[in-house]
Amino acid sequence: MNIAVLLKQVPDTTAKITISDEKVDESSVSKWSMSPYDEYALESGLKLKETSGGNLIAITCGPERTKKMLTDAAAVGADTLVHIPNDGVTDSTHVQKLLAAAVKRFDSHVVLCGKQAADTNGGSTGPGVAELINAACVTLVSEVNFSEGKFTTIRPSNSGIEKVVVDGLSVFAFDKGSTELRRPNVRGIMMAKKKPIESIISSDLGVNLEASNVKMNSQNPPPEKPAGQKFEGAEYVNEVVSKLRNEANVI
Amino acid sequence: MVYEALDFYDVDSLLTEEERMVRDMVRDWVDEEVIPNIEIACRDGVFPDEWRVALGEMGVLGAPLKGYDCPGLSYTAYGVICRELERGDSGLRSFASVQGSLAMYPIWDFGSEEQKNYYLPKMASGEWIGCFGLTEPDYGSNPGDMITKAEDMGDHYLLNGAKMWITNGSIAELAVVWAKLDGVIRGFIVEKNDPGFSAPEMKGKHSLKASVTSELVFQDCKIPKDRMLPGVKGLRGPFSCLNNARFGISWGALGSAQACFDSAKDYAMSRIQFNHPIASYQLVQNKLSWMLREITKGQLLAYHLGQKKDAGTWIPEHISLAKMNNVDIALEIARVARDIHGANGILDEYPIMRHMANLESVKTYEGTHDIHNLIIGRHITGIQAFTREA
Repeated sequence: MNIAVLLKQVPDTTAKITISDEKVDESSVSKWSMSPYDEYALESGLKLKETSGGNLIAITCGPERTKKMLTDAAAVGADTLVHIPNDGVTDSTHVQKLLAAAVKRFDSHVVLCGKQAADTNGGSTGPGVAELINAACVTLVSEVNFSEGKFTTIRPSNSGIEKVVVDGLSVFAFDKGSTELRRPNVRGIMMAKKKPIESIISSDLGVNLEASNVKMNSQNPPPEKPAGQKFEGAEYVNEVVSKLRNEANVI
Repeated sequence: MVYEALDFYDVDSLLTEEERMVRDMVRDWVDEEVIPNIEIACRDGVFPDEWRVALGEMGVLGAPLKGYDCPGLSYTAYGVICRELERGDSGLRSFASVQGSLAMYPIWDFGSEEQKNYYLPKMASGEWIGCFGLTEPDYGSNPGDMITKAEDMGDHYLLNGAKMWITNGSIAELAVVWAKLDGVIRGFIVEKNDPGFSAPEMKGKHSLKASVTSELVFQDCKIPKDRMLPGVKGLRGPFSCLNNARFGISWGALGSAQACFDSAKDYAMSRIQFNHPIASYQLVQNKLSWMLREITKGQLLAYHLGQKKDAGTWIPEHISLAKMNNVDIALEIARVARDIHGANGILDEYPIMRHMANLESVKTYEGTHDIHNLIIGRHITGIQAFTREA
């Protein structure tokens, strides 16, 4: 089984984000990491590989720096590393087209990704790629198992959890589950270092990055949180209850 | 608070990609598993067994040793690992130093092929813990006059004597013990269940509390003939081990110093006195600036020493300088950090006091600060000043 895992490198959740000229200043990001939901997709892909056998193809679309993330993926067990340079990429539909073309090129039987990237929180990659490759798509997946030619996934439902069983080409977009992520080890790191990264440009994938319908106007930092309020003494009980009920809406 | 490793001169950019990946692996593990649990481990006075398992799984034990299922990393990578571990706690780094440099290394360098094949894979995986017996109650800086002796009884050796201040002693499956056989220092592998061997734990430490420290007692301890390390005689054996461990400490101490700096910087930025953060006052900035200066110098020292170690162009005096300097500045940085934290600096909510107390041990073990000065003094003058006898 060829298991494609789509990965995105994002500013680490601990990194400070600065805005200049109404855009996120990427050069000021001190640490780039694999998007956390993608880590769950990768872990689930590795588990699928261990139980059902196969080849795990880690695919990313991004600038040169994203190759480091592919090597990190190799350190925990990714077999094939695919980098698609993002030259000319202006929005998520471009990314979906490129990833979909790579998924096809590597003859993937199943595609795993995070439910959304931790930077843009778009959530369009999984469903978008599924649409382009004509695959089934299950989102918010916390677990996937393969047996007798079918994938059984676990996802939340209104009243608890539901099991969704699919067969054929499928895309699973992962949420954080109870799965514990594996750590790399020295042996994995030493092998990863020797693993080649295949770079495939958009034209080689047969993707034409025509003008996009989507335009990003500006990015802004979130508004600063107002300072907290402090109340001491019994005389404030009524006021605090009223604030909790009417302003915070928590009681 | 998220840890931001101080690297003012971007020294880590000189590391190989592999070394940086190993750094990140260990750093993440320390953040997730060590720092949330270290204070409890210290209060209980235990080295958590999960840490042994994790170090084995990550594959960092005996980092620079090659073959026999050992990691085969560079010495620089070993230094980086020590730095990241000691950012968590010096006791944790001590565990790794003893296992790798003091127990695995002598077997790897001086052991027989059978000894290497038998012990090293189990030690690299963390399954077996090792310890190192050199120091005795009456012989610390002067190990050459040790009392512990071995006698050849024909079909076995008989060991008699006692060792003290032995990290990992009570939790070890095996000890590499240095003893005199016919007046010549030799290395012996003693296993936990050998008759006549015991390793009572030393209690009551105010330092390295999350590390096990023990005595090793040999009372007519009988060990098979094939347990002597065939490859070395004299003090060169234990000193070779100590060179490697001291190298690791020169990096490790920077981890403690960086942890203290990081905490002091965060505290100074958020602590308001006289209506402003104390970081805005000149005296505090002077302290932070001094810390950064010393850490940066220490990092350059450690990195360059790592390169020399990997290139094989080092001499023991290079290691003495780095161990002495980096532990010295780390301890002083911990003290200044405590000062910046005010009364809060004594609480276990902050890592300061723990690092400070740990570093008091680190300053003394593996060659005291003064002994390293004497080693360098001898290098400068050609005159040994350890003893009045020639």
